[in-house]
Amino acid sequence: MSARILVADDDRLTARFLHSLLSEKGYEVAVADDGEQALELVGTHHPDLILSDMVMPYLDGMDLLRALRGDVRHARIPIILLSLKDREEDIVAGLEGGADDYVVKPFNARELLVRVRKLLSRAGPS
Amino acid sequence: MQQILLTAVVAVGALFLGLTVLIVVTKAWREGRDRWRAARRREMEPRILRWVHGDGTSLQVALGGVTRGERTVVESVLLDHVQRVRGMERDRLARALDELGCVERYRRGLQSGRWWTRAASAERLGMAGAVRAARDLATMLEDPVPEVRIRAAAALGAMGGEAAVRPLILALDEPSRWSTIRIADILTGMGQPVLEELVGVFPRMTVQGKLAAIDILGRVRSVEVVDWLRARLLNDHRDVRARACHALGAIGDADSAPAVAQMLRDPEWPVRAMSAKALGRLRYQGAIPGLALAVRDPEWWVRANAAEALRRMGEPGLAALETLLDDPDNFARHQAVLMLQEAGVVDQRIEALAGPDGPERRRAESMLAKLAATGQVGRLRELEVVHPDPAVRRALSLLRERAAEPAGVPS
Repeated sequence: MSARILVADDDRLTARFLHSLLSEKGYEVAVADDGEQALELVGTHHPDLILSDMVMPYLDGMDLLRALRGDVRHARIPIILLSLKDREEDIVAGLEGGADDYVVKPFNARELLVRVRKLLSRAGPS
Repeated sequence: MQQILLTAVVAVGALFLGLTVLIVVTKAWREGRDRWRAARRREMEPRILRWVHGDGTSLQVALGGVTRGERTVVESVLLDHVQRVRGMERDRLARALDELGCVERYRRGLQSGRWWTRAASAERLGMAGAVRAARDLATMLEDPVPEVRIRAAAALGAMGGEAAVRPLILALDEPSRWSTIRIADILTGMGQPVLEELVGVFPRMTVQGKLAAIDILGRVRSVEVVDWLRARLLNDHRDVRARACHALGAIGDADSAPAVAQMLRDPEWPVRAMSAKALGRLRYQGAIPGLALAVRDPEWWVRANAAEALRRMGEPGLAALETLLDDPDNFARHQAVLMLQEAGVVDQRIEALAGPDGPERRRAESMLAKLAATGQVGRLRELEVVHPDPAVRRALSLLRERAAEPAGVPS
């Protein structure tokens, strides 16, 4: 069974790009337009990994992170934050907030795939 | 007469009807075209992205040919995604734009009489990473319209490489300060690769260009240029010396601190001010005596930066500020109080008044007595009312009363 990945990004173009990239590599991908929808999809889609934008309406990436880390059922899902914010303090805040990785946009697709693969293998087979 | 009137009414009616039909037909045609494009996009985008993630050579081949109408759809997909990725995917998207003939069209667009077409063409050439258009874009840096110049500069910045760096650096001499700031931001974003070229072109630049160049070197924060910046501390122009101090502080090279500290004695106040600011960033404790003197500088900016630098030095800097509380110079006393309050030292000493009798409490009493004598007693007065410990409130009241007695009034 292929690993399930949840992409949370309000920028539809980025979401479509990630959907295409990850599906092409055989992952099962679900897309959420904001953090709130992402939280709902976590319950139904049971992702093995989440790729989340930092800045989103309603519930942003950090809120989503807090919500997931505070819930024992989902606390162990690896999360990669994607963001245009490339300042050191933003990256540190994201990682300290519980993200497993932080990728600055515009991102390198191949590099992102390696990070996804590594986190999935660390988290164990799906 | 009636016939003429009737003809006129019919003619006007026909004209309005014609115009209405024209508007409706045009709108329907546009909406139909947009719907067709959206439908084509939904169908083509996944195929385009699959090609981007794969290793096929030609996008047109992968799509089985692209009609004239589809060209706009493919172009918009490529432009949307090329801004969102880096690396090999970006190169493939840019190459596809070239394959579609977009790069040549954008290059022709730079010659347009309409400024917005020139600006959009410049921007898209940057997105397409069209290195062969670097020379055209460099020419656009002299366009009479500022927006075109800025878009061309941003495009060169996005493109990077040698062909882009030189024209951007030369554009720092641009007389508009707004453009210079934007171009400096672009060059800073390009980072390390611009340093050597900046240093090489520096002697031929105007003073404004030189100042922008030094700022960029400071913001890129590379230790490679530290020696070169130190040599600029001896420059004839005061602003060059001042910016060099600032840049050395921003880079944070500790070995440069003694040279920056020397600049506290510069005859020009902007240099002294920037030297003080840089020393605060470098946290060079060897400069504490010099900074303590600079707090008495005749120029407000130097005094403020020197006091702030002492605050940033930690314990030894704060101790130096405490000694300034009874300085004969009124301005120095004022800055010392401000910084000690900001650092929380005043509150700490007030808390010590509640402690047992001993050296700590006596030190606090002595410092607070000096502070009260400066007349800047706002914080003391506030805590005299709201502090929860009545002993502290009494002690503060006593300190203020003593300071208000004739002998305690500062000269």
